[in-house]
Amino acid sequence: MSAAPPEPAYSSIAPGQPQLFGRVYQPRLRNHWSDRVGIGLLSAAGIALAVFLIGPLATILAKAMQDRAGEWVGLANFAQYFATPALARSIWNSAWVSAMVTAITIPLAFAFAYGLTRSCIRGKALLRNIALVPILAPSLLAAISFIYWFGNQGLLKSWLGEQQIFGAPGIVLSLVFATFPHALMILVTSLSLTDARLYEAADALGTGTVRKFLTITLPGAKYGLISAAMVVFTYAISDFGIPKVIGGNFNMLATDIFKLVIGQQDFAKGAVVGILLLAPVAVTYLVDAWVQRRQSALLTARSVPYSPKPSRGFDLAMAAFCWVMAALMLAMMGMAVFASFVKFWPYDFTMSLNHYRMGLVEAGIFEAYVNSVTLAAWCATLGTVAIFGTAYLLEKTRGAEGWRPLVRLMVVLPMGVPGMVLGLGYVFFFVQEGNPLHFLYGSMAILVLNTVVHYYTSSHLTAVTALKQIDNEFEAVSASLRVPFWKTFHRVTVPVCLPAILEISRYLFVNAMTTVSAVVFLYSPKTTLASVAIVNLDEAGDIGAAAAMATLVVATSALVCVVYYFLQVALDRRTQAWRQP
Amino acid sequence: MSAPPPPSDYLVLEDIRKQFGDFHALKGVSLTVRAGELLCFLGPSGCGKTTLLRIIAGLETQSGGRIVQAGRDISLLPPMKRDYGIVFQSYALFPNLTIAENVAYGLVNRRVNRAERERRVAELLALVGLPDSGPKYPAQLSGGQQQRIAIARAIATSPGLMLLDEPLSALDARVRVRLRGEIRSLQQRLGVTTILVTHDQEEALTMADRIVVMNHGVIEQTGTPLEVYRDPATPFVADFVGKTNLLPAAGAGAGRVRVGDQRFACDVDAALVDSPRLQVFFRPEDVQVRGVAGETPNSALAVVERLEFLGAYSRLTMRLNGIDQALYADLSVNDLAEFRVKPGDTLRVAIPAERLRVFAAA
Repeated sequence: MSAAPPEPAYSSIAPGQPQLFGRVYQPRLRNHWSDRVGIGLLSAAGIALAVFLIGPLATILAKAMQDRAGEWVGLANFAQYFATPALARSIWNSAWVSAMVTAITIPLAFAFAYGLTRSCIRGKALLRNIALVPILAPSLLAAISFIYWFGNQGLLKSWLGEQQIFGAPGIVLSLVFATFPHALMILVTSLSLTDARLYEAADALGTGTVRKFLTITLPGAKYGLISAAMVVFTYAISDFGIPKVIGGNFNMLATDIFKLVIGQQDFAKGAVVGILLLAPVAVTYLVDAWVQRRQSALLTARSVPYSPKPSRGFDLAMAAFCWVMAALMLAMMGMAVFASFVKFWPYDFTMSLNHYRMGLVEAGIFEAYVNSVTLAAWCATLGTVAIFGTAYLLEKTRGAEGWRPLVRLMVVLPMGVPGMVLGLGYVFFFVQEGNPLHFLYGSMAILVLNTVVHYYTSSHLTAVTALKQIDNEFEAVSASLRVPFWKTFHRVTVPVCLPAILEISRYLFVNAMTTVSAVVFLYSPKTTLASVAIVNLDEAGDIGAAAAMATLVVATSALVCVVYYFLQVALDRRTQAWRQP
Repeated sequence: MSAPPPPSDYLVLEDIRKQFGDFHALKGVSLTVRAGELLCFLGPSGCGKTTLLRIIAGLETQSGGRIVQAGRDISLLPPMKRDYGIVFQSYALFPNLTIAENVAYGLVNRRVNRAERERRVAELLALVGLPDSGPKYPAQLSGGQQQRIAIARAIATSPGLMLLDEPLSALDARVRVRLRGEIRSLQQRLGVTTILVTHDQEEALTMADRIVVMNHGVIEQTGTPLEVYRDPATPFVADFVGKTNLLPAAGAGAGRVRVGDQRFACDVDAALVDSPRLQVFFRPEDVQVRGVAGETPNSALAVVERLEFLGAYSRLTMRLNGIDQALYADLSVNDLAEFRVKPGDTLRVAIPAERLRVFAAA
């Protein structure tokens, strides 16, 4: 027998040779110290998400299985919940109200989006901006306005006859207004993502208008429609402000959580409702994620954008519809603003600043507004840095391949968690005396953390979209030139992505100003927020002051949007040299 | 500046493997890149050529095997510790930095003082023929110009190895042809060892010192452009590089094959002599019509089916007796005028024995 061949000096792998647990051994490159910095930062982000997202959610699950004393009781809380008819009815209420809101909002928003994208009506930009205004306001502004229009002392109370606005009708109407802009944005994008060549081909084949609509337009917008329906349904089922203000005795899941936890201190049942609320939202979220993945393949780089041709009758009809919708939007928004200046509704309609001066400033509630602006500013700055930085590390750096997928999962999770549930989780998690982070409870910091996590996913997706648009090889080129990644990050990535960064910042600011759901559990007397103050003022019957506060919030959001707009314009001017040849 | 000359085997790859799940992208690739040469990885998409380049750059990690660059084992080194410059198909120029800033990008980090840096940038821009483009932004240059800037940026730090990943594929045909020559002469002037990845066989033939033809994660052949073109090692190489006739054939005793009803003399590997399933390979330009008569060895009658005018020459589609597959023959404009060929004609053609190669059929 001949001697065995000498061992090679290096480790090479023969075909199908060393397989460990069925997996092929994959060598790893050594990490450069700059890679280690990236891995460290990414790990920090991962740990933060685990603590401020997974921790609270896990605590809800645990609480749902414990009794008041903290003993393990399995599913007993669920059984008890379903045995309480008043509570169980809330499930049905939430379901049908949300379904109805979806059924009303989607056709309206689709028609509006169709008018904006497929007709030659004038003032499209103005129409679009009016329709998007509700995004600048807390959802409960719609409820306040409806009370002024149709409430017991409402201007148009007589229109309702014996019917009350309080309860399901008010909730549905308010939610339709609040969800309309969200559906509209998705549908406008979806309808814009069309290839004009399809219509040209159909025209060449002599296809009729209706057939074109049914065979090209609707299938093309299919994913947008599904996605918008999911967003509206989720919004409706998890909104807290509207049913709180205009719901009367009509109970929904979101208001139940609040009553159970804040009113009755029944944490276990609150946790049960939280899980019940989490389920449908998680399902719609999964459907939406699936839809999004399909949609991206629809448009290729070679598509030709569609531009509508004038058609008198159709344009006229679309213009009529869109302007009526816009007028309703303005009437709805305007009413709360108007009412906030009315001296004494409905007896004295002279204009005054009484609600602002007496209702807010002298009542010591104006501080809530300052808190909201502070919160929004922190979210818009620190939140943006954290979210964009994490997105960059996830997309563009290497190393830590093992737990990168975990971080990827955590960043998309918040979208599937209703604000009420997240807020509840925070209470459970941070109120525990044993938690080393207990000191955060009741601070501004916890509000910032909660809000950033709550709105994490949308911001993250904005960042990822921008990052994906820049050349994937920048980091490879930098490494070959021995330039560490952070240098490329600050010299190239950030300047190129600045529009997206501003957009994230604006989004976080506006949402921090308007959000009610999560923070309603987390504020302390020192950190009351504007949106929470509106709820409390309304509850105390001081609806004029509530309207005033809501108006302040809308005005601030709008102002901030204008500021960002001008920042963007200034930025475009500065960067024109390299964007345009 | 009298560094010792690098060893002639500048980069050695030993048994490089890459597996993505169950898919074997590279099945044990070994090759050597000589100092100062331009080596080309050529193959269809999915053959593993880009993966191999990215492994050399440290952008992908091999599942097995070893890489030695200039005597140093770099198999497990991160990209920042390796010594190469890289140019991508997309140019990957930083859009918000000027051309000068782009070119200087790698210099800034190396404690080169400002004056020295500016001098080097000016020198590099002159080298790639764009001396005045420094203050411009990438979007203001054409694709071909951007690619030259990308090359200038890659060589700014004088790397030992230049990696070009399909550098010309995004450019239009005319620019591509011009830039081929420019890159090649630049590479020769600098003497930098270079690996070029391409799926364009013409690019490989015109630019490379040597070509590595790859398919399905293995090397099919390594050789000079002439060797690869004239003497393909496998039917795949014959078919992939250049226009090819690969006709079904059968062994017909020593030194002979039967193609349809014809018998041709040629070199046949002893192992293939009696095989009934062979392929015979020759180039369209190897088919002769001038001075071919009945007694010319390896001649046969062929019916012209189609005539395709391609400029300097025309391509005839012909058919031999007893064989379904068409045969292509390239005739110069002069030959065509002289023989007045038109579809339907019968023509006697000859293929010199030394131009025929025989492979076992796949």
